[in-house]
Amino acid sequence: MAASTETKQPSTSLGAELGQRVRANLQTITIVLAWVAIVAIFSILASLEGKVFLSPQNVSNLFRQMTVTSFLAMGMVFVIVTGNIDLSVGKLAGFVSVVAAYFQATIWYKLIPDQPMIAAILSVIVGLLVGTLAGVLQGSIIAYLRVPAFIVTLGGMFILTGLILLVTQGKTIPANQPGFSYIAQGYLPAIVGWILAALIILFLFWNMFRSRQRKRKYGFELSSLTIDLIVNGVFSLVVIGFMYLVNQYQGLPFPVLLMFITAGIMTYVANNTRFGRYAYAIGGNREAARLSGINIRRTIFLIFVLMGFLSGLAGVVLASYVGYGTIAAGQGYELDAIAAAILGGTSTLGGVGTVFGALIGSLIMATLSNGLQILDTPPAWQPIVKGIVLVLAVLIDVYFRKNR
Amino acid sequence: MSDEFILDIRNVTKRFPGVTALDDVSIQIRRGEIHGLCGENGAGKSTLMKILSGVYPYGTYDGAILYEGRELKLENRSIRQAIEEGIAIVYQELTLVPDLTVGENVFLGKEPVERGSINWNRLYADTREILANYQLDVQPQALVRHLGVGKMQMVEIAKALSENAKILILDEPTSALSEAEITKLMEILQTLKSHGVTCIYISHKLEEFFRITDSVTVLRDGKTVTTQPTRDLTLEKLVHYMVGREMTERFPKGNRKPGEVIFEVENLQAQDPNDARHTVLNGVSFDLRRGEILGIAGLMGSGRTELVTTIFGEYGKVTGGTMRIEGREISVGNAREAMRQGLSLVPEDRKGQGLVLIQSILKNISLANLDQFASLLSIDADAELKASMGQAKNLAIKAPNLQVATETLSGGNQQKVVIAKWLLSHPKILIMDDPTRGVDVGAKYEIYKLMNELAEQGVAIVMISSELEEVLGMSDRVMVMHEGRSNGTLNIADASQERIMQMATGIA
Repeated sequence: MAASTETKQPSTSLGAELGQRVRANLQTITIVLAWVAIVAIFSILASLEGKVFLSPQNVSNLFRQMTVTSFLAMGMVFVIVTGNIDLSVGKLAGFVSVVAAYFQATIWYKLIPDQPMIAAILSVIVGLLVGTLAGVLQGSIIAYLRVPAFIVTLGGMFILTGLILLVTQGKTIPANQPGFSYIAQGYLPAIVGWILAALIILFLFWNMFRSRQRKRKYGFELSSLTIDLIVNGVFSLVVIGFMYLVNQYQGLPFPVLLMFITAGIMTYVANNTRFGRYAYAIGGNREAARLSGINIRRTIFLIFVLMGFLSGLAGVVLASYVGYGTIAAGQGYELDAIAAAILGGTSTLGGVGTVFGALIGSLIMATLSNGLQILDTPPAWQPIVKGIVLVLAVLIDVYFRKNR
Repeated sequence: MSDEFILDIRNVTKRFPGVTALDDVSIQIRRGEIHGLCGENGAGKSTLMKILSGVYPYGTYDGAILYEGRELKLENRSIRQAIEEGIAIVYQELTLVPDLTVGENVFLGKEPVERGSINWNRLYADTREILANYQLDVQPQALVRHLGVGKMQMVEIAKALSENAKILILDEPTSALSEAEITKLMEILQTLKSHGVTCIYISHKLEEFFRITDSVTVLRDGKTVTTQPTRDLTLEKLVHYMVGREMTERFPKGNRKPGEVIFEVENLQAQDPNDARHTVLNGVSFDLRRGEILGIAGLMGSGRTELVTTIFGEYGKVTGGTMRIEGREISVGNAREAMRQGLSLVPEDRKGQGLVLIQSILKNISLANLDQFASLLSIDADAELKASMGQAKNLAIKAPNLQVATETLSGGNQQKVVIAKWLLSHPKILIMDDPTRGVDVGAKYEIYKLMNELAEQGVAIVMISSELEEVLGMSDRVMVMHEGRSNGTLNIADASQERIMQMATGIA
């Protein structure tokens, strides 16, 4: 094969190649650096008040706080990538949280008394089902009856607001069964955390060598081994550092584990399945996708089902996190989720966006909330600062694009 | 004599990192002439246009441009300034707002305002005057959405003229026009010329230079090859200047041996998907043989594209008629079903319908065929890559690697990606809707060669084309459409441009 003999040794210098890599991932790197900058600002401001922003306890809290938004944002990436929007996710998560609370507080103890573990599991299942069902409903109207997603989910948001009032009767419902509380409040033992960290690092390097092997097989130009090792080394250090920090407190929070697992699955779905490919193709050029034999309606339907399921998951974690269901549950979360997806580089024009970006976006949103709380800023400033950061981030992005 | 030339481009060089797009280009354009500009894709035509329109401002290139005897200095990104200077461009992709009227489009951004509100009467009166002056046959109050491509182009021209353009640059104006519309455009250009407007005429259709231009400049690899009066040129000479080598034949001779009938369409009828009262196909019949190239000719609006998209299951409702593949009657409800029956469609508009421009070559090639490599839960990336690389090599797609976004490729290479995508499903019947539109001479030749190879391997090919020479040069038989009907099929030996035009216009 001509291809295998053409395998070139990289002729460019290490620095030039590193620069190339940086340029190729500029958007991701920019957003990560933006987060680092925000953390640095809060650290300095906190230290002026004699507080520590990056304390093990606060890092642990920060990641726990971002989980609910992150589930919503990860689904939102797919929704926005196909050129749609979902305004109902916040209220849906809120509704799921009150339903999960309602079943625990008023139903399970009558049907299955003294079985808190089973009650907790059933509550989770009910929550996920309710979310998925809402997704099925909205998805069918959007994909098959062809009502614009903006309108369907705006209506959904109204309806869910009413449903929350119906279920709660305006009261607060406790959701604090021990098993159920573990979902958002539990911690993994330090040793389990370290084993996980080791597995992740092993996977990173295995994946690196596998991908190099594949490139060699197809005669692609290999990137320098040194750079690959540096990149993976940095990732490994981040993993170790993170695990060390959270283990200094109580260990890896269970919802954070849930978030990372979800992110892993969603990234895989985006890159390695037909469903994912079709979603990006539809967003990139709907007409080309249609003529390529892609079932556009079914793909969009499934995306809203997935969004519903993730809203259900977010609702379950939310109920467990706050320990009760209230009428204000999920208020404004859809805005956080949309902002997080966009901060993470999802294009409102469709076709572009990553799950990893949405995760970083959620982290930025949570960092802003958390940092302002630490500094005892009045709550009014949280949405103001978030709004400024969102517009500023997109402004900088637009500016860089124009001047490239 | 500075008065003789309205535009004097002197030794212009424009460099980009890694490439020199224009290398010491000099062109002199006489006042009031129609000056043809030709060259393959990548020869530097678009770069030159971008300099003249101010996209690449003064100072970003070397050399000088004298306009009306003084140096043209367009500031940063100010396309407005070029227009005010009197240089207007009508782009290949039309830039009208479909939901505004003709008048609103013509005066977009410069509406006549009196005391803070738009004087609509004046706007429409002025529009009517411009249209009448240059004999443009369009109603000022018509909604642009309802116009055909030919009329839209007239509106574009009117828009340029409303700015008192002295130089009008037309970038491939005829790529979407029918023969009748092209003739009309030629008349309009003559009218403009008689009004003293200078035109720069860019086209891939070389015959047009001989119909309309006074002189022609040929660019190749960013250099001026020659400028000559059109009367001293021949088609062969022009091709020679463009490719730098003698091209004895524009259409490669294949060794096609059409076999048995594989596909039959009988009395096919279909409705407009947006308007059920409007039937677009009123009975189309033809048959297609294995290893044959069947040309479909017809004017714009004759239903050619509607015919092939209907066959592919992606147009309106089929209201009558039958289709048979290998004797079996088939019904096709969407593209996926069509592909399952062994059909492939290279669509008309490669950017709008063929490619996901922001995605890589690899993803575009495999998009329609992921089923070959994927189970429910995963895509076999190795198999995908191998198959796509095979197609890319087969079609000689020129790109650093398959990860490059298709938006960065030249028109010819983009078209090759679309063709690669549709060959990956190994079709029995390949439908190509205007496969060489906006593609340079070299890439055209490669596409023709590929069509011959496929036909020799037994693939049955349907080729729609707006260029009669292409139809005559490549087909074994020609089916001519007229107003949604098949108006007969000619063996290539009996076909001529006149005969086809007569059938396409309903005279015969």
